[in-house]
Amino acid sequence: MFSCFRLALRRPPTATRSLSTALTDSLAPAAASVPPTAVSRPSATTPIHDLKGTSSSSSVVASPIIQPVYLSMSSLIPAEEDATELDEVVELDPFVFDHPIRRDVLHLCVVQYLDSLRQGSANTKTRGQVRGSGRKIRPQKGTGKARLGDGQSPMLRGGGRAFGPKPRDFSTKLPRKVIQMGMRVALSARLQEHGLGVVRSLEWPGFKTKDFAERLEELGWKRTLFVTGHDQVPDGLRRVTSNLYKVESKSAQDLSVYDAVKWPRLILDLPAVEWFERTLAKSASSAN
Amino acid sequence: MSLARAATSRVRLFNLTPAANSQHAQKRLGRGQGSGRGGTSGRGHNGQKSRSGNGKPKAGFEGGQTPIIKLFPKRGFVNPNAKVYAAVNLDRIQHWIDQGRLSCSPENPITAKELFLSGCIHDVHDGIKLLGDGGSALKAPIHITPSRASKSAIRAVEKLGGSVFCKYYNPLALRDCVKGNTERTQAAPTKRNDILWYTSWKNRGYLSPEALSKMPVVEDRWKELSKQFLMYKEQGIEQQK
Repeated sequence: MFSCFRLALRRPPTATRSLSTALTDSLAPAAASVPPTAVSRPSATTPIHDLKGTSSSSSVVASPIIQPVYLSMSSLIPAEEDATELDEVVELDPFVFDHPIRRDVLHLCVVQYLDSLRQGSANTKTRGQVRGSGRKIRPQKGTGKARLGDGQSPMLRGGGRAFGPKPRDFSTKLPRKVIQMGMRVALSARLQEHGLGVVRSLEWPGFKTKDFAERLEELGWKRTLFVTGHDQVPDGLRRVTSNLYKVESKSAQDLSVYDAVKWPRLILDLPAVEWFERTLAKSASSAN
Repeated sequence: MSLARAATSRVRLFNLTPAANSQHAQKRLGRGQGSGRGGTSGRGHNGQKSRSGNGKPKAGFEGGQTPIIKLFPKRGFVNPNAKVYAAVNLDRIQHWIDQGRLSCSPENPITAKELFLSGCIHDVHDGIKLLGDGGSALKAPIHITPSRASKSAIRAVEKLGGSVFCKYYNPLALRDCVKGNTERTQAAPTKRNDILWYTSWKNRGYLSPEALSKMPVVEDRWKELSKQFLMYKEQGIEQQK
Protein backbone atom coordinates (compact mmCIF):
# COMPACT_ATOMS: atom_id res chain seq x y z
CA MET A 1 0.00 0.00 0.00
CA PHE A 2 1.33 3.43 -0.83
CA SER A 3 0.83 6.52 1.14
CA CYS A 4 1.04 10.13 0.17
CA PHE A 5 2.03 12.86 2.57
CA ARG A 6 3.04 16.47 2.56
CA LEU A 7 6.52 17.48 3.54
CA ALA A 8 7.64 20.95 4.51
CA LEU A 9 10.83 21.15 2.50
CA ARG A 10 11.86 24.60 3.79
CA ARG A 11 12.29 25.99 0.34
CA PRO A 12 12.61 29.80 0.16
CA PRO A 13 9.54 31.01 -1.72
CA THR A 14 10.66 32.37 -5.09
CA ALA A 15 8.47 34.48 -7.31
CA THR A 16 9.61 32.86 -10.53
CA ARG A 17 10.85 29.37 -11.01
CA SER A 18 12.72 28.43 -14.11
CA LEU A 19 11.32 25.71 -16.28
CA SER A 20 14.26 23.41 -15.79
CA THR A 21 14.11 23.52 -12.01
CA ALA A 22 10.36 23.00 -12.19
CA LEU A 23 11.01 19.98 -14.39
CA THR A 24 13.62 18.43 -12.17
CA ASP A 25 11.66 19.22 -9.06
CA SER A 26 8.48 17.70 -10.35
CA LEU A 27 9.92 14.53 -11.72
CA ALA A 28 13.15 13.68 -9.93
CA PRO A 29 12.75 11.00 -7.31
CA ALA A 30 13.21 12.63 -3.95
CA ALA A 31 16.76 12.57 -2.61
CA ALA A 32 17.86 10.52 0.33
CA SER A 33 17.85 13.66 2.48
CA VAL A 34 14.06 13.41 2.69
CA PRO A 35 13.47 11.51 5.88
CA PRO A 36 10.56 9.10 5.85
CA THR A 37 8.15 10.10 8.56
CA ALA A 38 6.37 7.55 10.67
CA VAL A 39 4.31 5.87 8.00
CA SER A 40 2.93 2.52 8.93
CA ARG A 41 3.51 0.31 6.00
CA PRO A 42 2.79 -3.41 6.06
CA SER A 43 6.04 -5.03 5.02
CA ALA A 44 6.06 -7.87 2.59
CA THR A 45 7.35 -10.35 5.18
CA THR A 46 5.48 -10.95 8.40
CA PRO A 47 7.59 -11.18 11.56
CA ILE A 48 8.69 -14.72 12.41
CA HIS A 49 7.01 -14.79 15.81
CA ASP A 50 3.64 -14.22 14.16
CA LEU A 51 3.94 -17.31 12.03
CA LYS A 52 2.42 -20.39 13.57
CA GLY A 53 4.41 -23.03 11.78
CA THR A 54 4.37 -26.53 13.13
CA SER A 55 6.19 -28.49 10.45
CA SER A 56 9.89 -28.38 9.73
CA SER A 57 9.27 -26.01 6.84
CA SER A 58 9.09 -22.93 9.11
CA SER A 59 12.67 -21.71 9.40
CA VAL A 60 14.25 -18.37 10.13
CA VAL A 61 14.14 -16.28 6.95
CA ALA A 62 16.73 -13.59 6.43
CA SER A 63 14.57 -11.01 4.72
CA PRO A 64 16.15 -8.08 2.92
CA ILE A 65 15.42 -4.60 4.18
CA ILE A 66 12.73 -3.15 1.95
CA GLN A 67 13.35 0.48 1.11
CA PRO A 68 10.32 2.17 -0.37
CA VAL A 69 10.72 4.52 -3.31
CA TYR A 70 9.68 8.17 -2.99
CA LEU A 71 8.56 10.34 -5.87
CA SER A 72 7.61 14.00 -5.85
CA MET A 73 4.12 14.56 -7.11
CA SER A 74 3.19 16.85 -9.93
CA SER A 75 -0.06 18.59 -10.70
CA LEU A 76 -1.95 19.12 -13.95
CA ILE A 77 -3.68 22.18 -12.61
CA PRO A 78 -1.05 24.81 -11.77
CA ALA A 79 -0.77 25.70 -8.10
CA GLU A 80 -1.53 29.25 -7.04
CA GLU A 81 1.48 31.50 -6.83
CA ASP A 82 0.93 32.56 -3.24
CA ALA A 83 0.40 29.06 -1.86
CA THR A 84 3.03 27.82 0.60
CA GLU A 85 5.74 25.80 -1.11
CA LEU A 86 4.84 22.32 0.11
CA ASP A 87 5.71 19.47 -2.16
CA GLU A 88 3.72 16.32 -1.93
CA VAL A 89 5.63 13.06 -2.09
CA VAL A 90 4.20 9.67 -2.86
CA GLU A 91 5.63 6.46 -1.42
CA LEU A 92 5.78 3.70 -4.02
CA ASP A 93 6.05 -0.05 -3.59
CA PRO A 94 9.61 -0.95 -4.60
CA PHE A 95 8.54 -4.37 -5.83
CA VAL A 96 6.47 -2.63 -8.51
CA PHE A 97 8.36 0.59 -9.13
CA ASP A 98 11.94 -0.33 -8.22
CA HIS A 99 12.11 -3.74 -9.86
CA PRO A 100 15.42 -4.89 -11.42
CA ILE A 101 15.39 -4.10 -15.13
CA ARG A 102 14.88 -7.17 -17.31
CA ARG A 103 15.05 -6.19 -20.96
CA ASP A 104 14.55 -9.78 -22.12
CA VAL A 105 11.22 -9.94 -20.29
CA LEU A 106 10.21 -6.65 -21.91
CA HIS A 107 11.20 -8.10 -25.28
CA LEU A 108 8.97 -11.12 -24.72
CA CYS A 109 6.00 -8.97 -23.67
CA VAL A 110 6.39 -6.53 -26.57
CA VAL A 111 6.76 -9.30 -29.16
CA GLN A 112 3.71 -11.09 -27.75
CA TYR A 113 1.68 -7.86 -27.92
CA LEU A 114 2.72 -7.18 -31.52
CA ASP A 115 1.94 -10.80 -32.48
CA SER A 116 -1.55 -10.34 -31.10
CA LEU A 117 -2.06 -7.31 -33.35
CA ARG A 118 -1.35 -9.23 -36.55
CA GLN A 119 -4.34 -9.55 -38.78
CA GLY A 120 -3.11 -12.83 -40.28
CA SER A 121 -5.30 -12.45 -43.36
CA ALA A 122 -2.77 -13.33 -46.07
CA ASN A 123 -4.35 -15.93 -48.32
CA THR A 124 -3.45 -17.78 -51.51
CA LYS A 125 -5.20 -20.35 -53.64
CA THR A 126 -3.82 -23.85 -53.87
CA ARG A 127 -3.93 -25.89 -57.05
CA GLY A 128 -7.27 -27.31 -55.87
CA GLN A 129 -8.81 -23.86 -55.38
CA VAL A 130 -7.70 -22.22 -58.61
CA ARG A 131 -10.53 -22.29 -61.11
CA GLY A 132 -9.94 -24.72 -63.95
CA SER A 133 -10.73 -28.17 -65.26
CA GLY A 134 -8.82 -31.36 -64.57
CA ARG A 135 -8.12 -32.06 -68.25
CA LYS A 136 -4.60 -33.17 -69.06
CA ILE A 137 -3.28 -30.25 -71.07
CA ARG A 138 -0.87 -32.18 -73.28
CA PRO A 139 -0.21 -35.88 -74.05
CA GLN A 140 2.05 -37.84 -71.73
CA LYS A 141 4.41 -38.87 -74.48
CA GLY A 142 5.40 -37.60 -77.89
CA THR A 143 5.60 -33.84 -77.50
CA GLY A 144 9.24 -33.77 -76.41
CA LYS A 145 8.35 -31.45 -73.53
CA ALA A 146 7.81 -32.11 -69.84
CA ARG A 147 4.79 -34.13 -68.77
CA LEU A 148 1.93 -32.08 -67.35
CA GLY A 149 -1.42 -32.80 -65.80
CA ASP A 150 -3.98 -30.07 -65.18
CA GLY A 151 -3.39 -26.40 -65.78
CA GLN A 152 -3.50 -25.35 -62.13
CA SER A 153 -0.25 -27.03 -61.10
CA PRO A 154 2.09 -24.72 -59.13
CA MET A 155 4.75 -25.27 -61.80
CA LEU A 156 2.71 -23.37 -64.36
CA ARG A 157 1.95 -19.72 -64.87
CA GLY A 158 -1.57 -19.08 -63.62
CA GLY A 159 -1.46 -22.14 -61.41
CA GLY A 160 -1.97 -22.39 -57.70
CA ARG A 161 0.60 -21.57 -55.04
CA ALA A 162 2.29 -24.50 -53.30
CA PHE A 163 2.45 -24.03 -49.47
CA GLY A 164 1.34 -20.44 -49.72
CA PRO A 165 0.12 -18.39 -46.77
CA LYS A 166 -3.31 -19.12 -45.38
CA PRO A 167 -5.23 -17.00 -42.87
CA ARG A 168 -3.96 -17.95 -39.46
CA ASP A 169 -3.75 -16.74 -35.91
CA PHE A 170 -0.35 -15.33 -35.03
CA SER A 171 -1.10 -14.65 -31.39
CA THR A 172 1.16 -16.35 -28.87
CA LYS A 173 0.69 -17.11 -25.22
CA LEU A 174 2.90 -15.88 -22.45
CA PRO A 175 2.60 -16.83 -18.78
CA ARG A 176 0.48 -14.33 -16.90
CA LYS A 177 3.22 -13.75 -14.36
CA VAL A 178 5.76 -12.91 -17.10
CA ILE A 179 3.44 -10.19 -18.37
CA GLN A 180 3.01 -8.90 -14.81
CA MET A 181 6.78 -8.82 -14.36
CA GLY A 182 7.06 -7.01 -17.71
CA MET A 183 4.70 -4.32 -16.45
CA ARG A 184 6.71 -3.96 -13.24
CA VAL A 185 9.97 -3.71 -15.20
CA ALA A 186 8.48 -1.14 -17.57
CA LEU A 187 7.18 1.04 -14.74
CA SER A 188 10.50 0.76 -12.92
CA ALA A 189 12.40 1.67 -16.10
CA ARG A 190 10.22 4.73 -16.56
CA LEU A 191 10.82 5.78 -12.98
CA GLN A 192 14.57 5.28 -13.32
CA GLU A 193 14.70 7.43 -16.46
CA HIS A 194 12.67 10.19 -14.77
CA GLY A 195 9.83 9.39 -17.11
CA LEU A 196 7.21 8.63 -14.48
CA GLY A 197 5.05 11.23 -12.77
CA VAL A 198 2.23 10.97 -10.27
CA VAL A 199 -0.55 13.53 -9.93
CA ARG A 200 -3.35 13.67 -7.44
CA SER A 201 -6.03 13.68 -10.09
CA LEU A 202 -6.27 13.76 -13.85
CA GLU A 203 -9.33 16.02 -13.97
CA TRP A 204 -8.93 18.96 -16.33
CA PRO A 205 -11.57 21.64 -15.89
CA GLY A 206 -11.16 23.54 -19.18
CA PHE A 207 -12.58 22.92 -22.65
CA LYS A 208 -9.90 24.33 -24.94
CA THR A 209 -7.18 22.07 -26.23
CA LYS A 210 -4.94 25.12 -26.61
CA ASP A 211 -4.97 25.83 -22.88
CA PHE A 212 -4.00 22.25 -22.13
CA ALA A 213 -1.23 22.36 -24.71
CA GLU A 214 0.11 25.51 -23.06
CA ARG A 215 0.09 23.86 -19.66
CA LEU A 216 2.01 20.88 -21.08
CA GLU A 217 4.57 23.34 -22.53
CA GLU A 218 4.94 24.86 -19.08
CA LEU A 219 5.48 21.46 -17.49
CA GLY A 220 7.76 20.36 -20.31
CA TRP A 221 5.80 17.17 -20.91
CA LYS A 222 6.25 16.40 -24.56
CA ARG A 223 5.24 12.84 -25.48
CA THR A 224 3.09 11.75 -22.56
CA LEU A 225 0.62 9.04 -21.79
CA PHE A 226 -1.85 9.82 -19.01
CA VAL A 227 -2.93 6.73 -17.11
CA THR A 228 -5.95 6.84 -14.83
CA GLY A 229 -6.92 4.28 -12.25
CA HIS A 230 -10.63 4.67 -12.93
CA ASP A 231 -12.49 2.53 -15.46
CA GLN A 232 -12.72 5.43 -17.89
CA VAL A 233 -10.55 8.42 -18.57
CA PRO A 234 -12.12 11.62 -17.14
CA ASP A 235 -14.15 13.46 -19.78
CA GLY A 236 -12.22 16.70 -19.51
CA LEU A 237 -8.87 15.06 -20.12
CA ARG A 238 -10.22 12.90 -22.91
CA ARG A 239 -11.70 15.90 -24.67
CA VAL A 240 -8.54 17.91 -24.43
CA THR A 241 -6.02 15.20 -25.37
CA SER A 242 -7.95 13.64 -28.22
CA ASN A 243 -6.70 16.06 -30.83
CA LEU A 244 -3.09 16.30 -29.63
CA TYR A 245 -0.98 13.77 -31.44
CA LYS A 246 1.84 13.63 -28.94
CA VAL A 247 -0.44 13.04 -25.95
CA GLU A 248 -2.80 10.18 -25.13
CA SER A 249 -4.82 9.01 -22.19
CA LYS A 250 -5.73 5.49 -21.10
CA SER A 251 -7.08 3.66 -18.13
CA ALA A 252 -4.72 1.48 -16.10
CA GLN A 253 -6.44 -1.78 -16.98
CA ASP A 254 -6.01 -1.04 -20.69
CA LEU A 255 -2.33 -0.27 -20.31
CA SER A 256 -0.09 -2.84 -21.96
CA VAL A 257 3.64 -3.40 -21.47
CA TYR A 258 4.10 -2.16 -25.04
CA ASP A 259 2.49 1.18 -24.17
CA ALA A 260 4.56 1.53 -21.03
CA VAL A 261 7.77 1.02 -23.04
CA LYS A 262 6.69 3.05 -26.05
CA TRP A 263 5.72 6.25 -24.25
CA PRO A 264 8.75 8.08 -22.86
CA ARG A 265 6.67 9.70 -20.14
CA LEU A 266 3.81 8.22 -18.11
CA ILE A 267 1.71 10.32 -15.78
CA LEU A 268 -0.29 8.24 -13.32
CA ASP A 269 -2.94 9.45 -10.96
CA LEU A 270 -3.20 8.12 -7.42
CA PRO A 271 -5.91 5.53 -8.18
CA ALA A 272 -3.67 4.25 -10.98
CA VAL A 273 -0.72 3.85 -8.60
CA GLU A 274 -3.02 2.02 -6.22
CA TRP A 275 -4.30 -0.19 -9.06
CA PHE A 276 -0.81 -1.18 -10.16
CA GLU A 277 0.36 -1.85 -6.63
CA ARG A 278 -2.68 -4.02 -6.05
CA THR A 279 -2.54 -6.06 -9.23
CA LEU A 280 1.24 -6.39 -9.49
CA ALA A 281 2.04 -6.96 -5.83
CA LYS A 282 3.98 -10.00 -4.70
CA SER A 283 1.30 -12.63 -4.04
CA ALA A 284 0.99 -13.91 -0.51
CA SER A 285 1.40 -17.52 -1.61
CA SER A 286 4.72 -17.04 -3.42
CA ALA A 287 7.83 -18.59 -1.94
CA ASN A 288 9.57 -15.25 -1.46
CA MET B 1 23.71 -2.63 -29.93
CA SER B 2 26.07 -4.23 -27.42
CA LEU B 3 24.66 -5.25 -24.10
CA ALA B 4 26.84 -2.80 -22.17
CA ARG B 5 25.60 0.21 -24.14
CA ALA B 6 22.03 -1.04 -24.03
CA ALA B 7 22.22 -1.43 -20.28
CA THR B 8 23.08 2.22 -19.75
CA SER B 9 20.75 3.69 -22.38
CA ARG B 10 17.07 4.31 -21.88
CA VAL B 11 14.63 1.47 -22.38
CA ARG B 12 12.91 2.01 -25.71
CA LEU B 13 11.10 -0.17 -28.21
CA PHE B 14 14.14 -0.30 -30.49
CA ASN B 15 16.72 -1.49 -27.98
CA LEU B 16 15.02 -4.56 -26.55
CA THR B 17 16.73 -7.89 -27.22
CA PRO B 18 15.83 -11.43 -26.15
CA ALA B 19 18.00 -13.21 -23.58
CA ALA B 20 21.16 -14.67 -25.11
CA ASN B 21 20.63 -18.21 -26.48
CA SER B 22 16.95 -18.15 -25.63
CA GLN B 23 15.81 -18.15 -29.25
CA HIS B 24 17.01 -20.55 -31.91
CA ALA B 25 16.81 -19.74 -35.64
CA GLN B 26 14.40 -21.84 -37.66
CA LYS B 27 15.77 -24.61 -39.93
CA ARG B 28 14.70 -23.64 -43.45
CA LEU B 29 15.23 -26.32 -46.08
CA GLY B 30 15.73 -25.83 -49.80
CA ARG B 31 16.72 -22.16 -49.79
CA GLY B 32 20.01 -22.20 -51.64
CA GLN B 33 23.56 -23.45 -51.20
CA GLY B 34 24.70 -20.87 -48.63
CA SER B 35 22.25 -22.09 -46.02
CA GLY B 36 23.81 -25.57 -46.00
CA ARG B 37 20.36 -27.14 -46.48
CA GLY B 38 19.70 -26.37 -50.14
CA GLY B 39 19.19 -28.75 -53.06
CA THR B 40 18.22 -32.15 -51.64
CA SER B 41 17.38 -30.40 -48.31
CA GLY B 42 19.26 -32.82 -46.07
CA ARG B 43 17.70 -35.99 -47.59
CA GLY B 44 20.61 -37.30 -49.65
CA HIS B 45 20.04 -38.78 -53.12
CA ASN B 46 17.09 -41.03 -54.14
CA GLY B 47 15.91 -43.87 -51.97
CA GLN B 48 12.74 -44.37 -49.99
CA LYS B 49 13.62 -41.80 -47.31
CA SER B 50 14.04 -39.00 -49.84
CA ARG B 51 10.45 -39.26 -51.09
CA SER B 52 7.64 -36.90 -50.20
CA GLY B 53 4.93 -38.03 -47.87
CA ASN B 54 5.85 -40.53 -45.16
CA GLY B 55 8.81 -42.16 -46.90
CA LYS B 56 8.88 -44.98 -44.32
CA PRO B 57 7.48 -48.51 -44.40
CA LYS B 58 4.84 -49.46 -41.84
CA ALA B 59 5.90 -50.05 -38.25
CA GLY B 60 7.30 -53.53 -37.59
CA PHE B 61 8.18 -54.15 -41.25
CA GLU B 62 11.58 -55.79 -41.59
CA GLY B 63 12.21 -55.44 -45.30
CA GLY B 64 10.30 -58.59 -46.17
CA GLN B 65 11.88 -60.85 -43.57
CA THR B 66 9.20 -62.38 -41.37
CA PRO B 67 8.85 -59.81 -38.61
CA ILE B 68 9.30 -60.85 -34.99
CA ILE B 69 5.59 -60.19 -34.39
CA LYS B 70 4.71 -62.87 -36.95
CA LEU B 71 7.43 -65.42 -36.17
CA PHE B 72 5.77 -66.91 -33.11
CA PRO B 73 2.27 -68.34 -32.82
CA LYS B 74 -0.52 -66.72 -30.86
CA ARG B 75 -1.27 -68.30 -27.53
CA GLY B 76 -4.10 -68.29 -25.11
CA PHE B 77 -6.64 -65.64 -24.26
CA VAL B 78 -7.00 -62.74 -21.84
CA ASN B 79 -9.69 -63.17 -19.23
CA PRO B 80 -11.73 -59.96 -18.94
CA ASN B 81 -12.97 -60.99 -15.50
CA ALA B 82 -9.48 -61.54 -14.13
CA LYS B 83 -8.67 -59.65 -10.94
CA VAL B 84 -5.26 -58.36 -9.97
CA TYR B 85 -4.95 -57.90 -6.25
CA ALA B 86 -2.38 -55.65 -4.65
CA ALA B 87 -0.41 -58.00 -2.42
CA VAL B 88 0.70 -56.84 1.01
CA ASN B 89 2.68 -59.01 3.36
CA LEU B 90 2.50 -59.12 7.16
CA ASP B 91 6.09 -57.98 7.71
CA ARG B 92 5.44 -54.84 5.66
CA ILE B 93 2.35 -54.01 7.68
CA GLN B 94 4.23 -54.54 10.94
CA HIS B 95 7.04 -52.26 9.70
CA TRP B 96 4.51 -49.56 8.86
CA ILE B 97 2.92 -49.87 12.30
CA ASP B 98 6.36 -49.61 13.93
CA GLN B 99 7.03 -46.41 11.98
CA GLY B 100 3.70 -45.01 13.07
CA ARG B 101 2.31 -44.81 9.55
CA LEU B 102 -0.50 -47.29 10.21
CA SER B 103 -2.71 -47.88 13.18
CA CYS B 104 -5.82 -49.95 13.71
CA SER B 105 -8.53 -50.94 16.12
CA PRO B 106 -11.41 -53.40 15.84
CA GLU B 107 -13.81 -50.52 15.05
CA ASN B 108 -11.43 -48.91 12.54
CA PRO B 109 -9.70 -51.77 10.79
CA ILE B 110 -7.00 -51.30 8.18
CA THR B 111 -8.65 -50.96 4.78
CA ALA B 112 -7.44 -50.21 1.28
CA LYS B 113 -7.66 -46.49 2.11
CA GLU B 114 -5.20 -46.58 5.01
CA LEU B 115 -2.78 -48.80 3.13
CA PHE B 116 -2.86 -46.57 0.05
CA LEU B 117 -2.57 -43.24 1.82
CA SER B 118 0.22 -44.40 4.10
CA GLY B 119 2.23 -45.60 1.12
CA CYS B 120 2.19 -49.28 2.08
CA ILE B 121 0.45 -49.92 -1.26
CA HIS B 122 1.24 -47.84 -4.33
CA ASP B 123 -1.94 -48.76 -6.25
CA VAL B 124 -5.01 -50.60 -5.04
CA HIS B 125 -5.60 -52.38 -8.43
CA ASP B 126 -8.74 -54.54 -8.00
CA GLY B 127 -8.38 -54.86 -4.24
CA ILE B 128 -5.95 -55.83 -1.50
CA LYS B 129 -4.83 -59.37 -0.77
CA LEU B 130 -3.18 -60.03 2.56
CA LEU B 131 -0.29 -62.49 2.21
CA GLY B 132 1.57 -64.27 4.96
CA ASP B 133 5.27 -63.59 4.27
CA GLY B 134 7.03 -62.61 7.49
CA GLY B 135 4.23 -63.71 9.80
CA SER B 136 6.78 -64.10 12.61
CA ALA B 137 7.46 -60.35 12.44
CA LEU B 138 3.98 -59.57 13.76
CA LYS B 139 3.99 -58.38 17.36
CA ALA B 140 0.53 -57.03 18.17
CA PRO B 141 -3.01 -57.83 17.05
CA ILE B 142 -4.03 -56.36 13.68
CA HIS B 143 -7.57 -55.73 12.46
CA ILE B 144 -7.79 -55.62 8.68
CA THR B 145 -10.49 -55.95 6.02
CA PRO B 146 -8.83 -56.85 2.71
CA SER B 147 -10.54 -58.18 -0.43
CA ARG B 148 -8.77 -61.51 0.01
CA ALA B 149 -6.36 -63.11 2.42
CA SER B 150 -4.16 -66.19 2.29
CA LYS B 151 -4.69 -68.94 4.84
CA SER B 152 -1.27 -68.52 6.41
CA ALA B 153 -1.87 -64.79 6.82
CA ILE B 154 -5.21 -65.44 8.53
CA ARG B 155 -3.54 -67.97 10.84
CA ALA B 156 -0.70 -65.61 11.78
CA VAL B 157 -2.98 -62.67 12.50
CA GLU B 158 -5.50 -64.62 14.54
CA LYS B 159 -2.75 -66.28 16.57
CA LEU B 160 -1.98 -62.86 18.08
CA GLY B 161 -5.65 -62.06 18.64
CA GLY B 162 -6.17 -59.91 15.57
CA SER B 163 -8.99 -60.20 13.07
CA VAL B 164 -9.19 -60.62 9.30
CA PHE B 165 -12.52 -60.22 7.50
CA CYS B 166 -12.51 -60.37 3.71
CA LYS B 167 -14.97 -57.89 2.19
CA TYR B 168 -16.19 -57.77 -1.38
CA TYR B 169 -15.25 -54.55 -3.21
CA ASN B 170 -16.35 -53.89 -6.76
CA PRO B 171 -14.44 -51.13 -8.59
CA LEU B 172 -16.89 -48.41 -7.49
CA ALA B 173 -16.89 -49.60 -3.89
CA LEU B 174 -13.10 -49.70 -3.85
CA ARG B 175 -12.94 -46.15 -5.17
CA ASP B 176 -15.40 -44.97 -2.53
CA CYS B 177 -13.36 -46.74 0.15
CA VAL B 178 -10.13 -45.05 -0.90
CA LYS B 179 -11.71 -41.62 -1.42
CA GLY B 180 -13.70 -41.80 1.80
CA ASN B 181 -17.20 -41.53 0.31
CA THR B 182 -19.81 -43.03 2.59
CA GLU B 183 -22.98 -41.95 0.78
CA ARG B 184 -23.23 -44.83 -1.66
CA THR B 185 -24.28 -48.32 -0.62
CA GLN B 186 -21.45 -50.72 -1.37
CA ALA B 187 -22.65 -53.46 -3.71
CA ALA B 188 -23.01 -57.09 -2.76
CA PRO B 189 -21.27 -59.81 -4.81
CA THR B 190 -23.29 -60.91 -7.81
CA LYS B 191 -21.24 -63.71 -9.35
CA ARG B 192 -21.75 -67.22 -8.11
CA ASN B 193 -18.09 -67.78 -7.34
CA ASP B 194 -17.84 -64.54 -5.41
CA ILE B 195 -20.97 -65.35 -3.42
CA LEU B 196 -19.65 -68.78 -2.51
CA TRP B 197 -16.30 -67.31 -1.56
CA TYR B 198 -17.54 -64.48 0.64
CA THR B 199 -20.14 -66.57 2.45
CA SER B 200 -17.60 -69.08 3.71
CA TRP B 201 -15.89 -68.71 7.07
CA LYS B 202 -12.89 -70.66 5.75
CA ASN B 203 -11.98 -67.56 3.75
CA ARG B 204 -13.17 -65.24 6.56
CA GLY B 205 -15.77 -63.90 4.13
CA TYR B 206 -17.78 -61.01 5.61
CA LEU B 207 -21.10 -62.59 4.66
CA SER B 208 -20.51 -65.83 6.53
CA PRO B 209 -22.64 -66.20 9.68
CA GLU B 210 -19.60 -66.53 11.96
CA ALA B 211 -18.07 -63.34 10.58
CA LEU B 212 -21.35 -61.45 11.04
CA SER B 213 -21.40 -62.47 14.67
CA LYS B 214 -17.75 -61.54 15.26
CA MET B 215 -17.40 -58.27 13.31
CA PRO B 216 -17.75 -55.15 15.49
CA VAL B 217 -19.46 -53.07 12.77
CA VAL B 218 -22.11 -54.97 10.81
CA GLU B 219 -24.71 -53.52 8.46
CA ASP B 220 -28.26 -54.95 8.63
CA ARG B 221 -28.07 -55.33 4.90
CA TRP B 222 -25.26 -57.85 5.22
CA LYS B 223 -27.26 -60.00 7.59
CA GLU B 224 -30.12 -60.11 5.14
CA LEU B 225 -27.77 -60.81 2.24
CA SER B 226 -26.07 -63.62 4.11
CA LYS B 227 -29.42 -65.21 4.92
CA GLN B 228 -30.53 -65.06 1.29
CA PHE B 229 -27.24 -66.26 -0.15
CA LEU B 230 -27.18 -69.30 2.13
CA MET B 231 -30.79 -70.33 1.50
CA TYR B 232 -29.70 -72.77 -1.21
CA LYS B 233 -28.26 -75.10 1.44
CA GLU B 234 -31.75 -75.90 2.75
CA GLN B 235 -33.43 -76.07 -0.62
CA GLY B 236 -32.35 -79.63 -1.41
CA ILE B 237 -30.44 -78.82 -4.56
CA GLU B 238 -28.42 -81.85 -5.57
CA GLN B 239 -24.67 -81.37 -5.60
CA GLN B 240 -23.37 -82.31 -9.02
CA LYS B 241 -20.37 -84.60 -8.69
